[in-house]
Amino acid sequence: MMKGLKGLNILEMADLGVTFTTDTGDVPAVRDVSLHVRPGETLALVGESGSGKSTVALAALGLLPGNARASGRVTVDGTDVVAAGEAELARLRGRTASMVFQEPATALDPLTRIGRQIAEVVRNHRPVSRAEAAREAVELLRRVGIPEPERRASAFPFQLSGGQRQRVVIAMAIANSPGLLIADEPTTALDVTVQAEILDLLRELAVDSGTGVLLVTHNMGVVADFADRVAVMLRGEVVETGPVEEVLLRPTHEYTRRLLAAVPRLMLSGEGPPPSGPPEEPAVVRLRDVSVRFGRGRGAVRALEGVSLDVHPGETVGLVGESGSGKSTAARAALGLVVPDDGSVSLFGTDLNRARGRARRALLAGVGLVLQDPVASLDARMSVAECVAEPLRMHRRGMSAAERRERIAEVLELVRLPRELAGRGPRELSGGQRQRVSLARALVLRPRLLVADEPTSALDVSVQRTVLEVIAELQRELGFACLFVSHDLAVVQEFAQRVVVMRAGRIEEQGPTMTTLLRPETEYTRRLIAAVPVPDPVEQRRRRTADRTGATA
Amino acid sequence: MDQLKPMDTTDTLLYLTRRVLQALAVILIVTIVVFCLLHALPGGPARGILGPQATGEQIAAFNHEQGLDRPLPVQYVYYLNTLLHGDLGTSYTLNEAVLRLIEQRLPKTLVLTVLSALVGLLLAVPLGMWQAVRRNKPADYVITTLSFVAYSTPVYFLGLILVLLFTQTLRWFPSQAPQGDTLAQVFADPAALVLPVVTGAASMIAVFSRYMRAATLENLSEDYVRTARAGGSRQGAILFRHVFRNSLTPVIAMLGYYVPVLFGGALVVEQLFNYPGMGLLFWSAAQSSDYPVLLGCVLVISVATVVGTLVADVVQRVVDPRVKGGRA
Repeated sequence: MMKGLKGLNILEMADLGVTFTTDTGDVPAVRDVSLHVRPGETLALVGESGSGKSTVALAALGLLPGNARASGRVTVDGTDVVAAGEAELARLRGRTASMVFQEPATALDPLTRIGRQIAEVVRNHRPVSRAEAAREAVELLRRVGIPEPERRASAFPFQLSGGQRQRVVIAMAIANSPGLLIADEPTTALDVTVQAEILDLLRELAVDSGTGVLLVTHNMGVVADFADRVAVMLRGEVVETGPVEEVLLRPTHEYTRRLLAAVPRLMLSGEGPPPSGPPEEPAVVRLRDVSVRFGRGRGAVRALEGVSLDVHPGETVGLVGESGSGKSTAARAALGLVVPDDGSVSLFGTDLNRARGRARRALLAGVGLVLQDPVASLDARMSVAECVAEPLRMHRRGMSAAERRERIAEVLELVRLPRELAGRGPRELSGGQRQRVSLARALVLRPRLLVADEPTSALDVSVQRTVLEVIAELQRELGFACLFVSHDLAVVQEFAQRVVVMRAGRIEEQGPTMTTLLRPETEYTRRLIAAVPVPDPVEQRRRRTADRTGATA
Repeated sequence: MDQLKPMDTTDTLLYLTRRVLQALAVILIVTIVVFCLLHALPGGPARGILGPQATGEQIAAFNHEQGLDRPLPVQYVYYLNTLLHGDLGTSYTLNEAVLRLIEQRLPKTLVLTVLSALVGLLLAVPLGMWQAVRRNKPADYVITTLSFVAYSTPVYFLGLILVLLFTQTLRWFPSQAPQGDTLAQVFADPAALVLPVVTGAASMIAVFSRYMRAATLENLSEDYVRTARAGGSRQGAILFRHVFRNSLTPVIAMLGYYVPVLFGGALVVEQLFNYPGMGLLFWSAAQSSDYPVLLGCVLVISVATVVGTLVADVVQRVVDPRVKGGRA
C-alpha cells in the first residue's frame, strides 16, 4: 500500500480474510480482499448470495459473529478494526462509521420507542442530556424525511411502514455524522418507489457531509444508480474492481459479464411485437368484479376491489404491483384459496364457488402452483420424488406405483433435474433446484394453468434466469397458461404477453406488456417504471435528471 | 400505512370483557368436572366421617341429610345455587363454613406462594440471562445441571433434604413454618419462613431460568442487537436496555400458567412444614372425603389460575405494544 493514501481513505482493507468455524470444520468465507473507500465516494460491493459481500461489510465494523476469525488489516479512519478490542470498537461504531441493514422490519428493538433508539446512539458518543438527545432525535427524524417527527419519535417500530423504519435506521446511522456509512442491501426488502426514495436520501446525506459509502447489493440497477466504483465478488474474492461505467458497461472478468447478462433489463423504449388481438379461445381463469375483505368492522382491510381479469390458454399474464397491492390475493382468489366477498371466479368455464366436492377437486387439479420460498414450500421430511408425487396421490388415486414412478421421472426430466435427485431431501438441493422441484410438482398433473407467485424472487439472478427459461420453454411445449405474480417489472416485461398493474386492491391498468410498460396510461404506472433503476449508469443518470426536472417542472 | 395506529381503549375494554367472560366459563366447567369426579368416587364421604362402625341406616340417613342420595345434576344445580349466594357449604368434618375456612387459610398460602414466586423470579431471571451471556461456558453447564436436578427432584424430597440439612445438621432454621392464625404472626418469625419459601421456589428457579436463558439467547441473535452494537452501544447497555425487556415478555406469559404448579407445590410444602394454609386444608379434606371443602379449594385454585393467566396476558399487553386484541 502507498503511504500517501492512508490519510485519504476512510476505509481501507488489505488482504482481509474471514474464516467461519463450524461443526464440520473451518469454512473460508472471504479471501485476500483489498479495497478502499474515499470520503464522499460510494463503493458498491456486488455479488450473488454466498459471495461473502455481507461478511466484508460486517468485518469493516468488527460486527462478525462469534464463530468468525478475521485476518489481514481493516482500517477505518486510522483505527485497525481487526486488532481493536470491544471498547475501542464501541467508540468507533456509530460515530466514525455506522451501518444500515437489509431488514428494517427486524433491525429495530420492537419494545423501544424510535426516538429513544436514536437518542441512545447520540448519547453513546456525546455527553448530552437526555432531553437534548431527544431533541436531536426529532431533528434527525425530520432530516430523514419522517413526517411529523415530534409525534413519530414516540412511535414503536411496528407502527411504521417498512420504508419509514429504514429511515429510522438511517437516522441512527447518521446521528453522529460518521465519515463512513456501510449499507448492506439497504433497499432489498423495500418496494421500488420506496427504494428510489431511500437511495435519494442516502445520496443526499453522502453528498452533504462528504461521507464515504460502502454499498453492499446484488441489484445492478441500484449500483448503476448510486455507486462511483464497483467491486465484484465471487466465492469470497474480489474478481474485478473499477469505476462504475467501466465495470457495468465494459466488464473485463468473465464472471461479471455472465452476471450482467443474466440481469433482466427493463426496456424503456422501442417496439414490441404487435399486440395480437384477443385470443379466440375462452379464458382458463376469469375473475369478474372480485372483491375480498379481510377482517370485520372498522378494522377490515379491503384486499381486492372490483378486480376483473382473464388468462387465456397459452399466454402468460404478469400481475405486478407493490407490496399490499393485492396481487397475491388475486392469485389466491383464482386458486379458490380465498373466497371472494363479491364477484365471481371461474376456472375453465366453471364457477369455482358453485363447484363442490369432486367437481371442485377436478377443477383445481387443472391448476399448478409455484410459490416464492422454495425452502418453505417443500416438506423437508419428504424426498423430492414424494414431493412431486403428492398431487398424483391426491388426484390420480387409480394410478399404480409403477405408473407414478414413471410420471415422476418424466416430470423431473422436463424441469431438467437429474434423475438421481429423486431420492434426496429438499435440503440437499440448491435454491434453483428446489424451485424446479416445485415446478415439477406443479406440472405433474399436466395443468392447463400455472400460477406462479414471485417464483424467482428468492433466487440469484443467474439462477432466476434458468428457472424462468425452463418455465417459458415448458409453456411453449405444453401450452399451459400462466398467471405470473411479480414485483419485478423487468422480469414480467420479458416473460409475459399481457400485464395487469395493481395498486391498493384495484387494477390500475392492464394491456399488452409492450404497450403498458412502454407507454403507460396512468401516472402510477409511470412512477412505478421510473422508480426501477436500470443497470446502465449513463442511462440511469439521464433518467434520474429527467425525473428531477420533470418533477419540478 | 401513514397513520399511527393508536392503542384503542375501547379495544382494551372489549378484550378484557371477553377474557373475563371466558374466565367465568372456564371456572364453571372446572366445577362441573370436579363435582362429577368427586361424586363418582366409590364409598362416598359418609363412611369416612361416620367411622367403620356406622350402620347402613346411619349412612343412608347421612346421605339423605346431605342430599347425597339425589341425582347428580340436581345436586350440582343445588351446589351452584348456594355458590351463587356466596355460600360454599359447610365442612363435614370441621363443622365450619367452607368460606370461613378458606378465609382463614388462603392469605397464608398466598404469602407462601407469592414469596416463593418472587424469590424464584428474582433469582431465575438474572440467572437465566447470565447463563445466556456465558453460554456453553463452565458456569452455564453447572447451572444447567443444577436446574435439571432441581426440576426433576420431587418437591417433598427436596424439602426433606433441606429440613435435614438446615434444621438437623446446621441448625440454621426451625423445621416448622410459623404457626399462628394471623399474617402478623406469620411475619413475626421470618426465619421459619425461609425453608418453606425456598422449597417452593426451587423448581420455579429451575424452570424459569431455563425460559429466561432460551429467551435471552433468542433475543441476543436478533437483528436489533446488531443495530444497537453498530450504533456503539456496549454489551451491558444492550443487555439491560433491549434484550432484558424483550426476553421478559414470553417469561411473563409463562408465569400465569405456572399458578397451579405453585399451588400444587404449596400443597406439599404446607404438609412438610406443617403450615396451616390451603394446602394443608386440601390435604386433610381429601383424606376425609370432605366434599364441600375439596370443591371450595378447587374453586379457589381454578379462580387463581384463571386470574393468573388473565393478569399475565394483561401485563404482556402493557409491556409489549404489539400485542393487540388478538384471539385468545
